[in-house]
Amino acid sequence: MASSKKIITRPDWEKLLDNVHVMKEDMNKLVMNFFVTEGYVDAAEKFRMESDIDLSTIMDRMAVKQAVQSGNMVDAIEKVNDLNPLILETNPHLYFHLQQQKLIELIREGKIAEALDFAQDELAARGQENQCLLEELEQTVALMAFEDAANCPVKQLMDMSQRQKTASEVNAAILTSQSHEKDPMLPSLLKKLIWVQNKLGEQASYPKIIDLSSAKLEETK
Amino acid sequence: MVTKNDHIASVNGNSIVDDTFDPVDLTKLAAWWRSGGALGNVVKEKDWENAPTHLNTINSSGKFQFVSRDMLSVRYTGLQLHGNDVGAVQANLPAPTNRVIYYFEMTVKNAGAKGNVAIGFTPTGFKTYRQPGWEPNSCGYHGDDGFLYNGKSSGEKFGPTFTFNDTVGAGINYAMQEFFFTKNGELVGKPIPKEIKGDLFPTVAVHSQNEEVTVNFGNLPFLFNIEAFESEKKKKQEAVIDETPVPGNLSSWIVRSYLLHYGYEDTLNSFETESQSTLPSSNISQESNINDPEETFELHHRMILRKLIREGDIDSAFKRLHEWYPHLLKNEMSTMSFLLHSQKFIEYIRGGMSEDAVKYARMKLVSFFAIKFFETLLQDCISLLAYEDPSTSCVGYLLDTHQRDIVADGVNVMILSGSPNLKSSKGNVCCTLLEKLLKQLTACYIEGRSLNGQQGEVFNLHDILHDTYRIGN
Repeated sequence: MASSKKIITRPDWEKLLDNVHVMKEDMNKLVMNFFVTEGYVDAAEKFRMESDIDLSTIMDRMAVKQAVQSGNMVDAIEKVNDLNPLILETNPHLYFHLQQQKLIELIREGKIAEALDFAQDELAARGQENQCLLEELEQTVALMAFEDAANCPVKQLMDMSQRQKTASEVNAAILTSQSHEKDPMLPSLLKKLIWVQNKLGEQASYPKIIDLSSAKLEETK
Repeated sequence: MVTKNDHIASVNGNSIVDDTFDPVDLTKLAAWWRSGGALGNVVKEKDWENAPTHLNTINSSGKFQFVSRDMLSVRYTGLQLHGNDVGAVQANLPAPTNRVIYYFEMTVKNAGAKGNVAIGFTPTGFKTYRQPGWEPNSCGYHGDDGFLYNGKSSGEKFGPTFTFNDTVGAGINYAMQEFFFTKNGELVGKPIPKEIKGDLFPTVAVHSQNEEVTVNFGNLPFLFNIEAFESEKKKKQEAVIDETPVPGNLSSWIVRSYLLHYGYEDTLNSFETESQSTLPSSNISQESNINDPEETFELHHRMILRKLIREGDIDSAFKRLHEWYPHLLKNEMSTMSFLLHSQKFIEYIRGGMSEDAVKYARMKLVSFFAIKFFETLLQDCISLLAYEDPSTSCVGYLLDTHQRDIVADGVNVMILSGSPNLKSSKGNVCCTLLEKLLKQLTACYIEGRSLNGQQGEVFNLHDILHDTYRIGN
């Protein structure tokens, strides 16, 4: 079967490429999306600062993070809701963890009566809705049974690292909500590239990129 | 194409200064600079095409039909004596081609004496006293016999007949280059290959006495669920694309190379720390070391300079450049010099220090007027002086942080160009791996659409990233 494919020479193809303008803003968005969807929270934060100074949102997130890290959970929850009420609404696990941290802090301060009320009023309901949270709730409540919570079997909950864990979780959730993205865009675009090259290859001979990691243009066959 | 360097040679008269190899991609710079005015909106191509909204009352023969005042209905007023007194009417505009599918519907209000109604597509200059499909380059689905007519006066069995109170639809699928038809919300017949090139007008026709039809170009909801139809096709295609295998760490590799190129050192360090165990960069780098060495070149310094420029501290940037790369500043007419000086000027304006700005312009910017390429860019800068509140003016975009980014990128690329591992082609310095891949992606779509007669969905990376939906019709 004689091939009636259109032949595009390398210089012609390069001319076409030259006329395509890709905005840096779009590429930054792709990289940011990569960090957020792959869970590289710190890198996402650094990238925000290095590439796109959006000081207001950074400050807001810093404020929430600091509130959590200093154990001020009421403040933290309030700030998150101020930023975007949808965050806690759409993240029941996160909401639970923030409240769990509040419970832990109450126990740390020795306010057992208040802790009991809080556990019964707020957390019990959440635990019932969600099986996996129930176990975490039970562990937290167990803290109250021990005189020396810092040395009991579930003492890791009293650790500063627990605060850090919660802080990271809330930070990631805020970042995601600000980026409005959950789908990884970069892999999807790479797949599109491979697919569209093959599709075009059925109608035309042109310089393809076979090795994506170098983006080297092959000669037109 | 006249380049900046041609002008330097002619201005100086003598031989070109040493470092005139100016790796800052001038066309890219111009595109970025000029588009800075409305970054997100303007650069996005205006691809909203006009779609048909009503029936054309001008080009129809007028003798055999009467179009209603709202231009959405047509009634037969002829005598139906033969095959050349059809009352066919086209839409006011041809079907737009910048999408996957175009579709419209027609409802039979009065089947009249013989129910010779029809729906279809016809080209420019179609003889509107003939039924759509009876003439070459036209296609029509006829209600009286349920036949499909595709360019000649004899048709073929196609679908059910249609008459009073029936709503039929006609569509073009540009991706498949096919026509398709519906009756009362369901697809009928089979897709018909479209070999007709050029503009096609949605067309309806009446032929027997008292026939009347109304047309719907999307001002009312369609009976046929065109959105579901289109999204089903999209989903199918996306599922196929999704199956394509992509090497596992390619995304990480691309991101890493991007960070290295632009000097985002802090991010890179965070990224490498966070992904310690999962980034076997050794796999990919063994096959293609070309990218790595040159991009790590002077990473730390590039990061610092970018930081300074992003903060608007041009003086410090100059100081560091003198300290680390004095040879880069030798050519005072380089694009990098222009960028830095113009940015310093902009920073004066930002700080409300118009007098200092003027002094600086006289000292440093004026000489750049000799280079034609910089003329319009310079004019934009200097005109900042004319406004009391420059940030609200048409050149206010210069006060955006984006402008600092352009300067930072320019400096970055100048430093990179000094890398000993640099390949001679300019493309390597100016273009990250990510950008090259995205350009190839876009170019393939552009060429594919071109081979499809400039019909079909336009690939727009910016829109895809910003989730912009175009509602059909």
